[in-house]
Amino acid sequence: MTQKPNYPQPYEDEDNATFLAGWREGKLLLQQARSGGQPFFYPRLLCPYTGSSDLVWIEASGRGHIVSFSLITRPNHPSFNDEVPIILAEIALEEGATLLGRVIAADATAVKSTAKVETLPLPDAARYPLPTFRLA
Amino acid sequence: MTTSSIGITGYGQTAYEKRTSRTLFAFLAEAGQKALASAGLSFGDVDGLAISSFELPPDNTVTTAEQFGLSLSWAYLGTAGSAGPVASVINAKHAIETGQATTVLCIAGDNYDVGGHFKLMDNFSRGLRNYGTPLGFGGANGLFGIIQRKHAETYGTRREDLGRISVDQRRSAQQNEHALLRGPMTIDDYMNARVIADPICLYDCVLPCAGAEAVIVTTLDRAPPGKGVRILSGFERHNHPPMEIAPLRGGWETFADKLYAKAGYGPQDMDFVQAYDDYPIMVAIQLEDLGFCRKGEVSAFLAANSFSWEGTLPLNTGGGQLSCGQAGIAGGLLSVTEAVRQLRGEAVGRQVAKARRGLVAGYGMVGYGHGLSASSIILEAVQ
Repeated sequence: MTQKPNYPQPYEDEDNATFLAGWREGKLLLQQARSGGQPFFYPRLLCPYTGSSDLVWIEASGRGHIVSFSLITRPNHPSFNDEVPIILAEIALEEGATLLGRVIAADATAVKSTAKVETLPLPDAARYPLPTFRLA
Repeated sequence: MTTSSIGITGYGQTAYEKRTSRTLFAFLAEAGQKALASAGLSFGDVDGLAISSFELPPDNTVTTAEQFGLSLSWAYLGTAGSAGPVASVINAKHAIETGQATTVLCIAGDNYDVGGHFKLMDNFSRGLRNYGTPLGFGGANGLFGIIQRKHAETYGTRREDLGRISVDQRRSAQQNEHALLRGPMTIDDYMNARVIADPICLYDCVLPCAGAEAVIVTTLDRAPPGKGVRILSGFERHNHPPMEIAPLRGGWETFADKLYAKAGYGPQDMDFVQAYDDYPIMVAIQLEDLGFCRKGEVSAFLAANSFSWEGTLPLNTGGGQLSCGQAGIAGGLLSVTEAVRQLRGEAVGRQVAKARRGLVAGYGMVGYGHGLSASSIILEAVQ
């Protein structure tokens, strides 16, 4: 594996440590109220649907589809400059949560809304600080 | 005191600069002085202060009062990004109605540039900092590209129709010596512009810059003769709709009906609209949510109308942020000062004929995917 790029990193704290540790193992973890309800992302202390603070972590399948996306040629941070266009997508996971994620594809023109995606497996996943996807 | 007796009696703005050596307080003070002069008042008359500024920390409204030498009975700090300045006008009116203040100076300003804008966006909120910035999300451009593509794929919204907003606003900007971008722009220029975050291209984007805007909110009996602007109604909404990353609607849809009902007018009665134009797609969504056309039909509406100061729907008649530049949160008050200028009949070179009333909309505070805050006011010239 090549050296990790100098991407900006998430700030780890008590609210997101479990999630970030999960991704380091190639898992996409979501939260859900223990009493049930829709799983959600990003990590937080209260379920935004029920208000419950009694939350559990669930491991998502990593599969979903692209709802919409943009192809960024002018990234916010220079560490991304050699990888443009950055494919930034709104992704709806099978479990019902949505999130923003990068899609890694050699041909950006092959990326379409509704396309099925899955999380990158290890060891490729380790290059990215947050769940990152490829076309399925 | 009735609500109809409160309004905006003065407005002011600084020049906008692409790069500046001037401090933030220099911009805020100059805009405030100009607004007070326009109202026939001075700093000694001010007992309420509202500040909206991204770059203000570690300072706040109270330490700004110290800088300006003001003793205040009411202090307000905008928290809704560029929806904040319009919200500050709404809240200033309430403060006067309840006797907390008599004369409120509302200022919005920032002094950053393109690099400063990216730095700001990377740390805009914990949600965005932790879950957007590490993706190379491209600042606001990448997020609004997702919204624009979704709007296009859901409703058939065409780029060439969105482009009419940029092109017609530029036509108005050519009549505004304060606009940083005044060169001619055709629809071909818009369509062929450099790609920034496909589908967002260069003329969908604003130019970050430095500047400040200010207005005075007080009782209308203190307005210079013929220069008062009544605040007919105003509402704000935050985090609507919740848990959607890239919604094709915003908080405006929650209050549009009561905004018009309280004002006693409908969208058809507005002589102009000053919308929040961080991107044409967001102007389009505001036009839908605020009832100028039905949801999903904005492309046809844009194609059937024209938007310069002498168009069928005068829109952002000074050129908006798309042509004036986006001086941080000042972009959320630029709309108010231009509305007041129009209603006082002082928009030399771009005066909307018989401008009696208009709608001003704010939008901002980008969270995990989109702007969380929406605000709007309806203003009317005092006859």
